[in-house]
Amino acid sequence: MLRSPGRPLLVFIAVMILATLVVPGRAPAYYTHVVNLLMVYGILALGLDILIGLCGQFAFAHAAFFGIGCYTTALLYMRLGAPFLIGMPAGAVLAGLVGLLVGLPAMRMRSLYLALATFAFAEAARWVAASWDSVTGGSNGLRIDPGTVFGWSIVTEADAFPIVAGVFTLVVISISHLVRSRLGAEMLAVRESEHVAMASGIDINRTKLLAFTISAVFAGIAGGVFALLNSFVNPDHFSFGTAIMVLTMLVVGGFGSLPGVLSGVVVIGLLPEVLRVALKSIQVWQELIYGGILMATMMFMPLGLAGLSRQMLGKARRANRALDATLGGTETPP
Amino acid sequence: MKYGILLAAVALALTSAMASSASRAADPGVTDDEIVIGMFAPLSGPLAAFGTDTLNAARMVYDEVNKKGGIYGRKIRTIVEDDKCNPAETNAVALKLVTVDNVFMLHGGSCTSAAVTIQSYVTRMKVPFMMLNASGDPALFPPTRYVFGGFGGTQGGIGASITQFAIEKLNGKRLAYITSDDDFGTSNYSAAKAAAQKRSAEIVAYERVPNNVVDITATMLRVRDANPDVIVSATYPQGAVLIAQARQEYGMTQPLVQAAQGITNPAVFARNVGDPAALKDFYYSSAAGDLIDGPKLKDAYTKYRAAYPDRTTINFLMVMGIPSAEAVVKGLEAAGPDLTREKFIDGLMTVNFAPPELAAPVEFGPDRHDSLRGQIIVKFDGVKSEVVGQYEWDGSRAK
Amino acid sequence: MSAATLLQILSSGVVTGGIYALVALSLLIVFKSTEIVNFGGGDVLMFGAYVAMLCQDYFGLGYGPTFLVTSCVMFALGAAFETGVLRTVRGALSPSRVLVSLVITTIGLAYALRGVVRLFSYTDEVRRLPVLVRGPPLFLGPVVLQRQDVVIVAVTLSLVAALFAFFRYTWLGKALRAASVNPRAAELIGIKVARMRLFSWGLAFVIAGIGGILIGGKIPITPDFGTQIAFLAFAAATIGGFQSLPGCIMGGILLGVIQNMVGFFVSSASIAVAPFIVIMLVLVFLPQGLLGGGSALKKV
Repeated sequence: MLRSPGRPLLVFIAVMILATLVVPGRAPAYYTHVVNLLMVYGILALGLDILIGLCGQFAFAHAAFFGIGCYTTALLYMRLGAPFLIGMPAGAVLAGLVGLLVGLPAMRMRSLYLALATFAFAEAARWVAASWDSVTGGSNGLRIDPGTVFGWSIVTEADAFPIVAGVFTLVVISISHLVRSRLGAEMLAVRESEHVAMASGIDINRTKLLAFTISAVFAGIAGGVFALLNSFVNPDHFSFGTAIMVLTMLVVGGFGSLPGVLSGVVVIGLLPEVLRVALKSIQVWQELIYGGILMATMMFMPLGLAGLSRQMLGKARRANRALDATLGGTETPP
Repeated sequence: MKYGILLAAVALALTSAMASSASRAADPGVTDDEIVIGMFAPLSGPLAAFGTDTLNAARMVYDEVNKKGGIYGRKIRTIVEDDKCNPAETNAVALKLVTVDNVFMLHGGSCTSAAVTIQSYVTRMKVPFMMLNASGDPALFPPTRYVFGGFGGTQGGIGASITQFAIEKLNGKRLAYITSDDDFGTSNYSAAKAAAQKRSAEIVAYERVPNNVVDITATMLRVRDANPDVIVSATYPQGAVLIAQARQEYGMTQPLVQAAQGITNPAVFARNVGDPAALKDFYYSSAAGDLIDGPKLKDAYTKYRAAYPDRTTINFLMVMGIPSAEAVVKGLEAAGPDLTREKFIDGLMTVNFAPPELAAPVEFGPDRHDSLRGQIIVKFDGVKSEVVGQYEWDGSRAK
Repeated sequence: MSAATLLQILSSGVVTGGIYALVALSLLIVFKSTEIVNFGGGDVLMFGAYVAMLCQDYFGLGYGPTFLVTSCVMFALGAAFETGVLRTVRGALSPSRVLVSLVITTIGLAYALRGVVRLFSYTDEVRRLPVLVRGPPLFLGPVVLQRQDVVIVAVTLSLVAALFAFFRYTWLGKALRAASVNPRAAELIGIKVARMRLFSWGLAFVIAGIGGILIGGKIPITPDFGTQIAFLAFAAATIGGFQSLPGCIMGGILLGVIQNMVGFFVSSASIAVAPFIVIMLVLVFLPQGLLGGGSALKKV
């Protein structure tokens, strides 16, 4: 049950290294910024996929952990002078802890109550961020001075790129391994049927709790990186809208499939840029289009891009075999 | 797995697409014939109404300048983007305008969060940034070299002006201050408190109301219990309507002074409140120099309607775009024919004029980058509007 | 703080609670007949309010025809959503994945409805529907009651009573319940489940629409106000246990009163967070709500 991630992952790592060498300094900051953001969303989306896609827990608190990671890192830096190398892991740990605390009651809840309760938690967390003026700056937001990592000053988008890319690559690698690990298989079993999983001897509560915690940790990591990237954050960055955007990325990309999720991130992440150019005169249609995409995806592509390509590949494979059979010779049935 | 390859291909495509280098001259956006200005405002989404007309009005000013030959022979070319009133979007848009379009300066922002978000960036990149009609308090106090604005009236100016009116004209000694539960609220309250303290008046009730409030009962009952002389409100339209209604419902006789942000259209406001009796002793403030159909604004509206005939409903903030752009033009003129960003900033700090569109004069200086510190106060009974005063803030805040 | 103030807080809480209850009702009908939560419920209410505004401001209709027209439009919309969108979604997936997809679809609906309403610049301004019932407020001792509010409460209560009778005593009502509890068995005894679903969604949309008209006459509306109301409706339905109609009423009223109490005794600013705290507390400690009992998920 422990297939190694194999070749595609190595290719991915190679590409990331290449990009890190080439991109900073070459591209206008705007494009680097877009890619940096996409990578942050990638971490967010992959984290959420652990909980929803892999473990089947339909929870909506992700944006809150993102915020916790971000504010923790930013506050540790701005108020206590803690360097980002300490602040980012601290943010991730705190997010994970809160994720664990949320998971404890949540693991007993069934899907829709779970969605409601976690959603309420996220909104309450946002209210705290917006009202706790003395700590978080409230709705005024928090200014973040440029930080240093390993002695390098991170000021421009290009400066941040290697860090973001590095963290992103590490996240992809670890999730790749998680999915193929025993824990990953247990989470999958819980998703498919809790009764059967229980009967197979899996401790459902422990599995769910781990899913909540791990998912929150990744969101916290994304938050820490986000704090490095931005000079200013406010509670609106961590609103229901962000949660929906990440969910849409999962939906469009396909739950439970790592490359699927990443394709979803690219498509939905670049959508505002595309709309910005294409829809200059009818920008007022954006919300409608967004809603339409959600509904249409659920209607016609419910397994996302991943499902779609699996389908197409499946057809391709069958067509190939049919050809082979026609061209003669022995053929083992599919 | 084929997906790894798909992913690699995407990454490679992105990388190669970005392989263009960005070479920059000493001061981008300036050539012998033109100055490129990057503009942005919310052009879609919930606050599209705030942005579209104001941005158009600014462009109208630039078009006029161009018709007259430009500034030292240079015509102004604008590049327009939509910031959706959203900090993340504004960040992206600013990055694009500066690093891809290589503009000379940024002129935009109808929402404070947008303006504040890019403050560090424009300061680091030394790009002049003039706000459109955003209040922009956090980015203007304390002033930083590259950021100017406040044409919609800063929250400080608004809070102080309505409080001064309540004390000086309505003889208020005990004030109830109801404001929005956000950064605007914090900002206008600090100025209001300072204004009250200076005039020996007391704020006996201070309420912060959530933006999308549905029921104002608890708030108004607390206010009633505090026994004020005057009720001052700095909430947004939804809250403003509810407060006006509740004041009547509970039989409260204190006059009500409402800040500009609550009255986007007086006629619609009156209709929303419903009963004209609820608008007895009702006043509101405005950052504009006059009533919408007043003589001082007539020119502005006529010109705008001619330039943009398909804008059937013109947002009341449109007029702010004009002095905002005029300040830019004056700054460019003061910088001289040998135009650089630094000279432009120095020029801006000498800008001093009294546009008819605003309630108070624009006076930039080394210590002051916020333009508008005053408001006019209008008495409104549901049908008739009448300007009853003009007040200006002295810049002080209380903790 | 006087008794008068306390009474005023209570009565206002009851009135606003009535509105939350109405939206919770709409959510409940969807839940009982399809076991999903309509995350777009608040925006359906908003849409109903704007349809009514169209009737009144553009076509100049009075309140009577407005209610009628809006109800028809909302029913058609709900039915169309079910047959056009949801049915396709359901058909595309295995039962274990269907729930998540359906809920996401309702989120898509929410965005789409907001998008449509924002296409018209008329909605940029904050507006209110004309007052439902004119006349001076009524006084119950020191407590002020707007006539509008009394009407709202009356309509809500009668709707609940009507729906209660409908679901318990009429054939259609019982068929709807059967179709939701056990679709396969229902089909076997001749109930056309597809038609029942269509009717459920249509009915739910109508109720939300009526709620929209009622609330639009009381407070100013914007394209975003539906989302705010939705939070409160979820809280109300959760308190009631997402099970029973009386539960909704109780949940709504409790929530309205709690909100007002918090607003008065704590601060106006905490009004916004009260519903979320309530949802979390109820779901953690009393997942069946105050009135509900037994499992809430349907058996297949």
